[in-house]
Amino acid sequence: MDARLTVILVGISHRTAPIALRERYVVSVADLPATLGSLRALEGVEECFVLSTCNRTEVLLVGPRGRDLVSAARAQLFRNLEASSTYSFEDVPAIIHAFRVAGGLDSVVLGESEVLAQIKRGVEAAACAGTLGPVLRPLLQQALHVGKRVRAETQIGQGSLSVAKIGVDLAARIFGTFEDERALVVGAGETGLLVAQHLRDRQIGQLTLANRTPERAVEAAHALGADACGLDVLAERIARADLVVACVEAGSPPIEARHFDRRAVSRRDKPLLVLDLSVPRAVAADVARVSPNILVYDLDDLQRIVRENERGRSEAVDGTTAILVAEIHKYLTSRTYSAFTPVIADLRRRFEEIRESTLDAHAGARSDPREVQLAHELTKRLLDAALEQMKAGARSVRSEEALQIEYRRFLDNL
Amino acid sequence: MNALQALAVVLPLVYAAAAASFALGRDERARWALRVALCLHALDFVVRAVKVGHFPVTDLWTTVSASAFATAALWALVARNAEHTGSGGLVLGLVGALQLVASSSVPLTPLPRAGGMGPLQITHVATSCVALAALFLSGLHGVLWLTLFRSIRARRFSPFLERLPNLDTLAKMTRRAALLGFLGLTVGLNVGIGLAHAESSPRFTYRHPEVLLSLALWAHFGVVAFSQKIPGLGARRASWAAAFGLAAALLSLVLVMLPHSFHGAA
Repeated sequence: MDARLTVILVGISHRTAPIALRERYVVSVADLPATLGSLRALEGVEECFVLSTCNRTEVLLVGPRGRDLVSAARAQLFRNLEASSTYSFEDVPAIIHAFRVAGGLDSVVLGESEVLAQIKRGVEAAACAGTLGPVLRPLLQQALHVGKRVRAETQIGQGSLSVAKIGVDLAARIFGTFEDERALVVGAGETGLLVAQHLRDRQIGQLTLANRTPERAVEAAHALGADACGLDVLAERIARADLVVACVEAGSPPIEARHFDRRAVSRRDKPLLVLDLSVPRAVAADVARVSPNILVYDLDDLQRIVRENERGRSEAVDGTTAILVAEIHKYLTSRTYSAFTPVIADLRRRFEEIRESTLDAHAGARSDPREVQLAHELTKRLLDAALEQMKAGARSVRSEEALQIEYRRFLDNL
Repeated sequence: MNALQALAVVLPLVYAAAAASFALGRDERARWALRVALCLHALDFVVRAVKVGHFPVTDLWTTVSASAFATAALWALVARNAEHTGSGGLVLGLVGALQLVASSSVPLTPLPRAGGMGPLQITHVATSCVALAALFLSGLHGVLWLTLFRSIRARRFSPFLERLPNLDTLAKMTRRAALLGFLGLTVGLNVGIGLAHAESSPRFTYRHPEVLLSLALWAHFGVVAFSQKIPGLGARRASWAAAFGLAAALLSLVLVMLPHSFHGAA
């Protein structure tokens, strides 16, 4: 990496803004190419990457040191948003943050694995848009590797938690078992299917998938052994449900109070639970006011439940520190080493020139093959010794101990 | 120290131990403690019955003790049926408190009642105690349902609520306990009215507040017990009804024990 360049991260997440703010800055999959293009067009930006999930929207930029890319990115992506609702990191803290996100350590649900798939999708979109380069490509590859390692080697990944599972667990506090319950999952996207799968695993009595495009719902429902319908019959299906889970993408029509029959809901024996796992939110605020028998939860509410349940998970988080510090060190070493690539090529060329000129001066065209072989061997060994020195130099640029301190400082400032 | 004195001291402690074990999630230990408490409590009644020569529930404090016993026994039945012991800490804690009050006030040298107690009187007192315990349980689970519902609405989850059964199970426990109370009251009221007529109790009339309140309670808990079948009366309204019924049941107990009660005159 060119020493004049730096990595900058700017974002908004569940840590800095409520869902009411976050939902305004979601970048949908369809909008990703345009957003990446507009960021790449900013003066000084050499590479960029956008990650937009239900918990966060953040951008990684590579640009010259000293240039105010943070303000430019804020103006481009988080217009009309107070600076206090966003965060930004530069260089090592940006890398630490990116690795923590990939490891699920910054997620609402600690260790959730959906974020890895979301990063992969972001990488694919950025690769298609041509906004990845020699800095971000290896950084993101390493982030994905960190994500897998953290989940495989620590207790963070145990239980495969996700927002979908937390939502279903909340429903279990009301219904206990699901054998006699009827669930309606609105949205047949990734989260919707995950929720449907969790409900199916818990032997839900009746499961219906509703989607804007009924064909997609039919296809997904077939695999799950569920019913399928379009959004045109939403009110009718809600009337028959005990649990409604909304997992729709931006642009879908919202679930509104008019979809609920006030009289029927008030006469229900059990409360009607409505989980809104969408960003932007898909359930209108007035739905909760239709009847005291309706319980509406959005992602921020689930986040509060998760926080209360997170006691005892700190040991698992501590176990990730060593992995993260080692991986950050490995990345920084390879980054520094890669900065030497032109120097190494130059050194190799010069060694070979000196060898050839010395051989020419010594014996000309009548060189003894054994002497030529010896000269080649000597050049190779000297070059290897020089490279070893360079690698050692790259490793010692930042020791693991120094990174550990930097990592702790990063956590303290969260 | 005689047997009754020893039991008076030990009983609240064993109930408290069972309650603490359920609250801490040590269910196996708690079940054993509860079994021991129920056996000792039954022994307490047997000793009293031997001393007085008839059914031993004759005054306010033995009624409180009998109600505590019935509450613990019925809770074990309802919890087993619902396959959840999450409310055990609270219920048995209150049973322990009731028994503590009863133990500190109940006469340790019981006196026989003049004329003893006939089979109808025994049936009336026993079924009324069972009914009171069931109504107490139903009301308590109704209160727990409302507490959990409100905490779910407010997105608050404390460790105490974490141990509670889910809303559906709490609603079932409320209704099952109400059904037991309804059945107990059906028998207890009919036998009691029959007894009042047979003994020609001078203060008994159908307009007497005790009778009216008991009849109202009987109807009220009948509605709670069958609320799932009544359109518009969901778990939330049934829980409110059970909670109000609990207050009314306690008021009924106080009325029965007041000096001007026809029970006292009987």
